[in-house]
Amino acid sequence: MSLLDETVEIPRRTMTLFFVIDTSGSMAGSKIGAVNDAVVNVLPMLEEISAENPDAEIKVAALEFSTTCNWLYSEPKPANEFVWQDVQASALTSLGAACKELASKLSRSGFMKAASGSFAPAIILLSDGAPTDDFESGLATLKQNNWFKAAIKVAIAIGDDADKDVLTQFTGTNEAVFTVHNIDALKQIIRVVAVTSSQIGSKSSTAGDTTKQEQVIAEVKSAVDNIGGAEVASAPASTASYDDWD
Amino acid sequence: MAELKTNDRITLVGGGSVKIKKELGRGGQGIVYLVDMNGKDMALKWYLNAPDNYFYTNLNNNILNGAPSDAFLWPKALTERQCGSYGYVMDLRPKNYFEFGNFLMAKAKFASFDAMLNAAMKICNGFMMLHRFGYSYQDLNDGNFFIDPKTGDVLICDNDNVMPQGEKSGIMGKARYMAPEVVAGGIPDKYSDRYSLSVILFMLFYANHPLEGAKVVACPCMTEAYEKKFYGSEAVFIYNPNDKSNLPVRGIHQNVIRRWPVLPAVLRETFTREFSEEMLRNPQKRMIEQNWEKLIATLRDRLVICPNCKGETFIEEDKNTCMDCGKTIDITLKLKLGARTLYLTEGTNLYIDHDNMADVQVLRDASAGMLLLKNLSPDATWTAETPSGKLKAVAPGEMMPVKAGIKVSFNQSTKGEITDNH
Ligand SMILES: Nc1ncnc2c1ncn2[C@@H]1O[C@H](COP(=O)(O)OP(=O)(O)OP(=O)(O)O)[C@@H](O)[C@H]1O
Ligand SMILES: [Mg+2]
Ligand SMILES: [Zn+2]
Repeated sequence: MSLLDETVEIPRRTMTLFFVIDTSGSMAGSKIGAVNDAVVNVLPMLEEISAENPDAEIKVAALEFSTTCNWLYSEPKPANEFVWQDVQASALTSLGAACKELASKLSRSGFMKAASGSFAPAIILLSDGAPTDDFESGLATLKQNNWFKAAIKVAIAIGDDADKDVLTQFTGTNEAVFTVHNIDALKQIIRVVAVTSSQIGSKSSTAGDTTKQEQVIAEVKSAVDNIGGAEVASAPASTASYDDWD
Repeated sequence: MAELKTNDRITLVGGGSVKIKKELGRGGQGIVYLVDMNGKDMALKWYLNAPDNYFYTNLNNNILNGAPSDAFLWPKALTERQCGSYGYVMDLRPKNYFEFGNFLMAKAKFASFDAMLNAAMKICNGFMMLHRFGYSYQDLNDGNFFIDPKTGDVLICDNDNVMPQGEKSGIMGKARYMAPEVVAGGIPDKYSDRYSLSVILFMLFYANHPLEGAKVVACPCMTEAYEKKFYGSEAVFIYNPNDKSNLPVRGIHQNVIRRWPVLPAVLRETFTREFSEEMLRNPQKRMIEQNWEKLIATLRDRLVICPNCKGETFIEEDKNTCMDCGKTIDITLKLKLGARTLYLTEGTNLYIDHDNMADVQVLRDASAGMLLLKNLSPDATWTAETPSGKLKAVAPGEMMPVKAGIKVSFNQSTKGEITDNH
């Protein structure tokens, strides 16, 4: 066989997109329905982005939290293998527990064990309410995690009852908290945030010193201007430093 | 944001208009539409957020100046400002061209090394002409090249950031392709273009990234901070002879491990030099496109068809065994062109000049047991002088025998001689 026929795919780093989804009782009905619908529809787009991206392979992981929390799959999966199981809404909002669970998987012994390495993950938190458990200690644990520190973190606040302070603490900046007021806007913003986060590593950038999170925020913002029923807050973004990765 | 709809009419600077037929795809800055311009299908790149005035003027200048070479899918017409934005019209990309990324992901494969060398030559020539026009490209990366895997023909896209050398388009480039000095915060220019070009060429030949070896793969999470190190301040070439910390890893960087020892030594020497600490740190010392062209021409001279397995292989000064079947290849018959040596084996195409058209094909007359040279030129008649001094014309499509001592004038300036000396 000739040398050219033996060519194999260039190694790609993995970029895992985490959906962290509030499935508490208040999400019941059209909200959870919209989330399910939006994610199902965005998966083929992620598959396509991944298939055409020589820099990164996109994988998807999803954590739902209500009274307890639960991963939809026990490992990140390529978008084309990720068969979305509709999540159901019930009971409480254990965001603190979800933070701890997320922290436990953001490690090389957890979800981040790709042989060719990873890019910082993108984490999309969706919630319509306020945590009912010990959020502070959960978040404190998560904030120690280097993967989390480096991650692109975006939160989608569904309606005005969502605790935006909590979402701001999670993302590190209120600029990364996008509020939606209707089901259509919710679907659109899930798509925009997921697609933008997945593309960001493989694009030409215009500025040297912006973080990927800042780039995602800027792009989502410009898209949000065109989505009726979505809004964004503004404030300076935080910066993080990273050293240790396990 | 200003998206367009089917049948929208968009007026052009200097008169005329295009009609939107459908969307072809979207990218970071905008949407590309299939449009009708005077009955001809063209592509319209439409910006979702109109870039500033300077960008518009620059685009207009580039259109007026025309493409540096036929390698570029160059902007052909600028639209007037309308519907909250603007765009430019270019030719459509033919279907048989694949994005370079598809080659990296092994979804498209070069049909031959001949095609691969054509691609390399066309890319180098394109950037030579672009720089000669006084431009810098600024954002050279794997997304800019579309290549026909059969012929190696190349189309260079995304020419909207092309600026006069030294001026700033605002774009920094794409990680993994940006020169170390740009990663460190510098402004892209023709010298950083040359770095990106060497990365692209390395990836074309070896199908792995020149700076991604053990050291980089060991980094679990490629953050911006690590990108700055591995592609900037602490960049180490995977085959840096003085620093073995970043060697390719078996099972991961398979292509380069397989190809590095097999492809010609001049290629190894060139990349080892171009990715040395010295070249990484001294943009002005990087090899100019013209010398890349010479290197590729040298590789071409050494590419022959193996008479045994009919596959392609490279002949080197100290090596005339086939890289596929391992058999020794008879390279007694050669064509000397000044300092160049071209090996004559059945089926081999010879390239006399730097364009991507083979000029000579070596054939075999089985009954006479002799090799022949066929004139592939569409219009140039060769003049052959036999050892006894007879002059013979070899018109396009005609053949002449391969006999030691025959001198051939391929054109005014290129004269060669067939030899069987060592
Ligand atoms: N001249 C063309 N003919 C046919 N298709 C084209 C042409 N130019 C671009 N396209 C297609 O349109 C889509 C968008 O192209 P575009 O260059 O805008 O995006 P991109 O390269 O992905 O991103 P960026 O905006 O960052 O350059 C791509 O899928 C591309 O294949
Ligand atoms: Mg493009
Ligand atoms: Zn052979």
